[in-house]
Amino acid sequence: MAETIDKDHMQIIDSASDYGEAIRTAAKPLERDGYITDTYIDEMIEALEEHGPYIVLAEEFALPHARPSEAVKETALSLLTVKNGVDVKGHFVRLFIVLAAKDSTSHNRLLQGLAEFLMEPKNIQDVIACNTTDEIDHILEERWNTT
Amino acid sequence: MKFLAVCGFGVGSSMILKMTIQKALRELDVDADVVHTTISEAASEQADAIFTSKEFVDDLEKRTKAKLYPVKTYSNLEEVKKQVQQALEDHEE
Repeated sequence: MAETIDKDHMQIIDSASDYGEAIRTAAKPLERDGYITDTYIDEMIEALEEHGPYIVLAEEFALPHARPSEAVKETALSLLTVKNGVDVKGHFVRLFIVLAAKDSTSHNRLLQGLAEFLMEPKNIQDVIACNTTDEIDHILEERWNTT
Repeated sequence: MKFLAVCGFGVGSSMILKMTIQKALRELDVDADVVHTTISEAASEQADAIFTSKEFVDDLEKRTKAKLYPVKTYSNLEEVKKQVQQALEDHEE
């Protein structure tokens, strides 16, 4: 399992019509590579409808996810920046990281690294400012503590 | 003292919140247990302070004796630290 986010699972787009489209786009590489099925994407969007926008975990950042299920084959994260931002139930979001968790513990270390990364708001803004996935990859490599 | 971090599924958001609470406790030099769980299991967990979103605070209010502390942004260390300090004060009384 990757310790941060695979570069093939990162995308940068200018805009999305709504948060549903943003989440679908963000999750697509995981579906393409067989980490999740389409069902998991629907479940993430339903979860947001049901539980409210608490997946907006930091300024301009959201962590779409649903409960671990058979729709998740491999634990992984994928990343999407929406340059112009999109509204997530009253919150302006420009960075999405999709969490696909196979069970309730396998992603522990991944999230530990993510939590530390998010606690420094500058990290989020720096990722949003990137124009290529190479640049994002470089920031994560430098600042995402995997130990 | 035991803190509980709660979200819908107990896998993502509450885990991030738990880590933010742990960091706040370290910075305040306080030793305490922090566990994370789902909204459906939260009421049956023994805890002194429950941290969760405003929506879930309203939902849990009727079902738990633990004190509830709403958190808007789960990885906002300043916000979480303020609530942790409040919880520690309330616990001492």
